[in-house]
Amino acid sequence: MSYDVTFQRRGLDALFDLKGRAGAIRGWAGDTLPQLPDRPNTRSSGGEVEVYYVGCDHWLARAPLDQEEMLEAQLQPATCPVEISIVRVSDTLSFFRVTGPDAPEVMAIACPLDLHEAAFAVDAVTYTEMFGLKALVLRCTGGFEFAVEQSFGDMVEDYLTRATV
Amino acid sequence: MLLIPCPLCGKRSESEFIHGGPVGADRPDPNAVSDAEWVDYLTVAPNPLGPVQEKWWHARGCGEWLTIWRDTRTHDIVEAPDGIK
Ligand SMILES: [Zn+2]
Repeated sequence: MSYDVTFQRRGLDALFDLKGRAGAIRGWAGDTLPQLPDRPNTRSSGGEVEVYYVGCDHWLARAPLDQEEMLEAQLQPATCPVEISIVRVSDTLSFFRVTGPDAPEVMAIACPLDLHEAAFAVDAVTYTEMFGLKALVLRCTGGFEFAVEQSFGDMVEDYLTRATV
Repeated sequence: MLLIPCPLCGKRSESEFIHGGPVGADRPDPNAVSDAEWVDYLTVAPNPLGPVQEKWWHARGCGEWLTIWRDTRTHDIVEAPDGIK
């Protein structure tokens, strides 16, 4: 069976792993980051920077790669207060986009989550599974985006190729 | 398959979790119990026919540890038995 779908392996983005109380992160990051989302498994954005609320006191900030140095300079991971942690993790995830009319069908092969809009809203983002691997899943224009640990990137590309042929 | 309620993420597929074993008794003061009771604490895991409290790790999710009560006869997630938090 073939699906009316396109998938694309994306290049790197700037990614920063943020841990700590929201107030403490906000206090340190100031205007560098958009308002942190207050509901778990949702995202916020400001300019080109997005923040994902992915776990208890745990966020991921994402921006185009050309903003990495600027974000690093402003977030100052090496000198942040002890009650928070900021780590640049840009090269740890491989992002994929699955778009097209059958994108939900292809996602359903790989992911146990209910990704209907009633259950997985436009601003939803969460860690779950793709092909049995821990994966970050969110919506994008025309479909879904997900990220797996970068060392699995080639394998997941192969899985997607086989699943969509 | 279980749908396990994560306090942060809501109900999620069992496949996102790693089982952490049953919740054991609190650690007794080794000087206040007999050798047999101490060995019991160290080596005997709860294994009831009925509700058992278990630890699960949302490893492929938000990373939280949580506990649930599961009935070993039906595999259903159940309320804590009366009188137990
Ligand atoms: Zn969770």
